Amino acid sequence: MMRFGFGSRLRHLRLQQILAIAAVGTAVALPVVLVSVGGGVSAHELGSLENAGYQIVVSAAGEHGITQAHNLTRSILRVGSVVAASPVLSVAVDVFPSGSGATPVLAEGVIPDEFTPTLGPAEDGLFPSPLPLGDPTDAVHFANGTYTGPSVQDVLVSSPLAQADGIQVGAELEIGPTAERGGAVAYNVTGTFGVPPTTLGPTGAFAIILPLSNLQVMSGFASGPNTTAPDAADTIEVAVAGSASTDPAALDQIQNAIQALVPYYSVSALDQEAAQLQSASGVLTGFYLALSSVGLTVGLLFLALVLVRRVESDRRSIGIQRALGLPGRWIARSIVGDGLLLASLGSLVGVVGGYAIVAGLATWGSGDVRLAARWAQFDPVTIGAIVLGVVLLSLLASGVATRSALRIEMTEALR
Amino acid sequence: MNGAGAPALELVGVGRTYRSGEPEGVPALRGIDWAIAPGEFVSVEGPSGCGKTTLLNLIGLLDAPTSGEVRWNGTSVGDRSDRERARLRLEGVGFIFQRFYLLPTLTAQENVELPMRALRVPRAERTRRASDLLQEVGLRGKERAFPHQLSGGEEQRVAVARALANRPGLLLADEPTGELDSTNAAAILALLERVRADRSATLVLVTHNPEVAARARRHVTMRDGRIAADRREA
Repeated sequence: MMRFGFGSRLRHLRLQQILAIAAVGTAVALPVVLVSVGGGVSAHELGSLENAGYQIVVSAAGEHGITQAHNLTRSILRVGSVVAASPVLSVAVDVFPSGSGATPVLAEGVIPDEFTPTLGPAEDGLFPSPLPLGDPTDAVHFANGTYTGPSVQDVLVSSPLAQADGIQVGAELEIGPTAERGGAVAYNVTGTFGVPPTTLGPTGAFAIILPLSNLQVMSGFASGPNTTAPDAADTIEVAVAGSASTDPAALDQIQNAIQALVPYYSVSALDQEAAQLQSASGVLTGFYLALSSVGLTVGLLFLALVLVRRVESDRRSIGIQRALGLPGRWIARSIVGDGLLLASLGSLVGVVGGYAIVAGLATWGSGDVRLAARWAQFDPVTIGAIVLGVVLLSLLASGVATRSALRIEMTEALR
Repeated sequence: MNGAGAPALELVGVGRTYRSGEPEGVPALRGIDWAIAPGEFVSVEGPSGCGKTTLLNLIGLLDAPTSGEVRWNGTSVGDRSDRERARLRLEGVGFIFQRFYLLPTLTAQENVELPMRALRVPRAERTRRASDLLQEVGLRGKERAFPHQLSGGEEQRVAVARALANRPGLLLADEPTGELDSTNAAAILALLERVRADRSATLVLVTHNPEVAARARRHVTMRDGRIAADRREA
C-alpha cells in the first residue's frame, strides 16, 4: 500500500498525497485551534468564577444600578451565613498625574472591610490588607443616608498604571469624572495593587480603587454633601461562610433570602453562572465545529479527488488485479486503506499543526490573542472525536474512489 | 465442475458483439464452436483484428459472450456473475500478457504471491511457493527486484511464475513473446512448454507469429471473427 512506481510519476503521486495530507491537516487544524482556544478561555472564565471569593451576586440594570447600596449591604449582612457583602461601583474616570494629561482608568468604589473577604485565591496577595482607604466601613463620608461626613480622599493605584504614569505612593493624584482637569479632585495615593492576567490587555489593568462614597459623589451617582439622594453600585458581591459556600442547597437558601430583600434585582449564585457559562461554552464549541465542517468538507473533497485521480492513474494496475481474479473487495480495501492512511496522517499533521499554531500565538501573538492562546486547553476527548470523525468521513471519500475503481472495464484497462 | 471425459474448454455458438455507433453493434466473434482437450497446447493465429484476443478474453472469463456458451470441464461458466467469474479466474486460469502487466509497485516475489494472497494461502506457504516458482523460471536472486529493475525477458518470466501461482489447469498467453527479442522469446516459449508439460496444464497461446505458433501441437486460425482452420499435428 502507498508504494508507487518510479521517476516523475512517483514524484507526481507523492505531491498529490502531500497535498491531500496538507488539505486534511488544514481542515483538522482549524477546529483544533478554535475548540482548544475557545474551550481554554471558557475554562479560564469558569475557573475565575469557581475561584472567586464570593458566591452570590446581586445586580441590576439601569442608570443607577443598585440604589441604596450601603443600606442593602447592611440588610444582606444580616442574612445567615453571609460574612461579607461588598458593593462595587465600576466607573470610567480620568486621572491627571502631575505633569501629564488625562489618563482614562477604570475606577472601582468599594467598602474596604467588605471588599477584602470577597477576594478569591487568584487575587491573594494582590491587594494590601486591610485596604489603606481611611474609614474601613465607608461610614465617615456616607452616614445615615447622607453624604455629610468628610470624604476620605485616599486612592489605591494599580501597579501597571503607577508604572506607566510614574505615580508614587504618598503623592497626590488628581481624579475627575471627565477629561477636563477643572472638575478633578486631589487624592492621596496610599498604595498600589497588582492585577491578574486580563483579556482586556494593558488598558484594562489601568485601574484605581477608592472608597465607594467618594466615587459615588465624584461620578454623580450620588450628590453631596448633605444630599439625601440614594447611593448606588453595579453589583453587590456576597461571600458566604464555611461549608455553606460549597453547599448548593445552602447557597440556594441564602440566595432566596437575598432575593426576598431585593425582589426586583437579579440575584444569582456563581455556580448557576458557571453552569450557564458551561452551557454557553458547549454551544460555542458546537458552533466552532459547525464552522470547521466547511473546512473539513473541502479537505475531504480534496482527499476524494486525490483518490479518484489515483484510481485513474492506476487504471491499468487495477485492471490487472481484476483480470487475475482478485475480488472487488481486495481492490476496495486497498483504496480505503490508502484513504484512511492519508486521513490519519492528515489528522496527525492537523493536530500537531493546530498545537503549533496555538503555541506560536501564545509566544508571538499580541494582546488578547496571546493571552487567549495561553489559556488554550487541548482536550484529548474532543480532539480524538474530531480525528475519528475525519477518519470515518474519509471512508466516504474512499467510497467514491472505490466505486470508480470497480467500474473500470478490465479489457479496456488492459489495452 | 469436473465432468469425466469432458473437454477442458468448450465454446458452443459463442458470439461477441461490441456496442458502438452501429445500430446492431460490431461483431468481434460469430458463432464459434470449439473444444480443447485437457493438457493440449493450442495456438490461435490470425491477422490483427480477427478476434484472437476477444476469444482469449471469453475463454479466460475476462469478458462474457453476447451469445452462446462457454464451458469449463463441461460446466457452463460464461454467464456467471462478475464475482463468480473472478473466483474462477483466480483459481483456474493463469494469464500471460504481451506487456507482462506486472504491478509496478510490487517486487517480483510480491507479484507472484499476489494471486495466492487473494486465495488466502498461508503466508509461509505462499512465500515458499513464490520462491520455488521464481527459481523454476530462472530468477533466483531477483525476488526483491521491482519490475522496472528487470529486463523484458525477466519480467515475462515473473509473469509466467505469477500465472502458475495458484496451480491453474488453464494457461492463457496473449502474444507472450511480442515484446521480447528472439533469444528471450525462445526462452519464454521453452519455459511455457516445460511448465505446461510438468503440470499437464492446457495452454492456449494467441500469436500472429508463425514461428511461435509452430511450437503448438494444434493450430487454430481465425479470420473475421470465425475459426477458419483447426489443424492438429500428427
